[in-house]
Amino acid sequence: MTGKEIYEIYAPFAKKWVEWVRPVPFVAIDTYNRKPISNWVDRKVKFLDKYENDTAIFIDLTGKESIELGIGLVHIGYRPIPIFNGTDEQNGSKATTDTYIVESSLINGAEKLKKIEIPNDANPAFLLDSSRINRYRDKKSIFDNSWDLYGQDIPSIEYFTQNGIKKIIVVGNEINRDLRKIFLKFQDAGIEFYLTDGYSSVNKLVLKKKILDYLEKEEI
Amino acid sequence: MELLKIPEEKYYNYRLNAMFNCYKWDPQFYDSNTLAKYVLLLSKQENEEVIKLTELLDKETRLAEECINKNKKMIKKLALPREIIKQIPNMQTYDKSKNIRLMRYDFHPSIDNNWVVTEVNSDVPGGFAESSLLPDLARKTIDLPKLYYTSFGEMMVNAINDKLNKKGTIMLIHCTCFSDDRQVMQFMGDRLEKEGYKIIYGAADHIKFKDKQAYCILENNEQNIDLIFRFTPLEWLIQMKPRTWDGYFNTTTKSCNHSISIYAQSKKFPFVWNDLEHAGISMKTWKSLLPETIEAKDVGSRQNFIYKPIYGRVGERISIEEACKGDEYKKIIRDVKKHPQQYIAQKKFISKPIKADDGKEYHICLGSYTIEGKHAGYYARMSNYPRIDSYAADVPVLIKG
Repeated sequence: MTGKEIYEIYAPFAKKWVEWVRPVPFVAIDTYNRKPISNWVDRKVKFLDKYENDTAIFIDLTGKESIELGIGLVHIGYRPIPIFNGTDEQNGSKATTDTYIVESSLINGAEKLKKIEIPNDANPAFLLDSSRINRYRDKKSIFDNSWDLYGQDIPSIEYFTQNGIKKIIVVGNEINRDLRKIFLKFQDAGIEFYLTDGYSSVNKLVLKKKILDYLEKEEI
Repeated sequence: MELLKIPEEKYYNYRLNAMFNCYKWDPQFYDSNTLAKYVLLLSKQENEEVIKLTELLDKETRLAEECINKNKKMIKKLALPREIIKQIPNMQTYDKSKNIRLMRYDFHPSIDNNWVVTEVNSDVPGGFAESSLLPDLARKTIDLPKLYYTSFGEMMVNAINDKLNKKGTIMLIHCTCFSDDRQVMQFMGDRLEKEGYKIIYGAADHIKFKDKQAYCILENNEQNIDLIFRFTPLEWLIQMKPRTWDGYFNTTTKSCNHSISIYAQSKKFPFVWNDLEHAGISMKTWKSLLPETIEAKDVGSRQNFIYKPIYGRVGERISIEEACKGDEYKKIIRDVKKHPQQYIAQKKFISKPIKADDGKEYHICLGSYTIEGKHAGYYARMSNYPRIDSYAADVPVLIKG
């Protein structure tokens, strides 16, 4: 399958939420001739018993786990929406973030996904790679392909609420700094947040502003 | 100008092909689709008129920047960042014949049937693939093969070949954390690789300067660079820590753009036009096309002025009230009051919306590139309100024969 064909499996014509599927890793599948991974794990969803009409999910685990769990969520009715946005490093150089594994795992995910029917209006499970924010370089000669998620990369608060979303479950060890920044505004708009590591049940979370949030220049 | 709708049944594939064959990796901004469902058609006359004006503007701008570079009094009026002002002595070695000068002028149709130019993207204009590949995709999609266009990419390749003669290493400098920067660079890199160049993608701090020559320090890519193609804005570059950016201002390595680009990038550029004219450089075309521009602090009771940040990009923080979202207008005005020196005020013009063939109306910004003084294609964006900002959609430009 080409990157474009794989993209179409994740973002089929005229389905809800698919406009936000980011093409970047799918383009790279062709550019770098990526192959499927050999250690794919079929994951079962342990933190949620059933599909919830008012709930969207953000999976913020490492890339491979995120895609595996995203496919697991398909079985209870959610649509995986990959929003990976990292680019590949210059040939030969070391990178801060491993994009290969994301690109390859998306191929495996597509093989599974194409066999499953998802309702047209299924709620989204946004897929993220938690290692995206790894910006540390021990040498300047390393290629920094880390990336942040910005508000503009996902639907607006109004879109979520108009489509019946009242709760967001974040699957990850914590709410990473870029998500926190976006979600503080969502919380102000009345959306509730829940956190799970993917294994234990979800816990309600109240995001609190930190001193830095108050000091930051007003965003226009 | 005309807007021609891409048939609904063809649009899904058009968008897919734009992403996978035309480097359109950022097709969505919040809830806005940033790839228009239209094609913008220019008449032969409109095209000729814009080309003529673009080249006149470019001639004035290039003469102006060389003059400003040697004049401290004018430089002071541009409100350049302090770190850049300190580099100006290093920029005296600028030799235009050794560099490639790229700019993009933003044209808008106004209600009185004239063109208005709101700014020049002097430092790091983008939109390369949208202006080079998207028109051909659109032409095939709507099956109108006789419409033509000028490919920015091919013009840039020719300009680079003139300087490097198809030999050497080109480093494409961008913010490596942003895929929307990389898409611009990747288009140029893939095309230049076909010409035989070695291409290196890297960030501004992946270059070291030794005896003014640029050298790549990326692992397994350590080598001299023959051309720096920079997409990192200068005002971002100087924020880089540790400080390794001084060399960009006096390098002998060929550059596109050289840091001389900062003078016209400042929205305070019009404040030196009278000085330039005293020095014998005509700014006639600029004066006829740019709306009246004054210091933000001088607006007082004068009506119909909008505020723009001096180094604003993609329409951000422009105080067009009817185009602002939520409390954005209030926030901008509050920021102008706090930091008036960071803004200019520009007389508001009334943008003339273009009616599409489906009856809907859109506002247009027609970006017209120049490379080395010659027109080099168009990058257009459209919006359903009179501000072309990040929510606007890219629309390919085709010309009627």
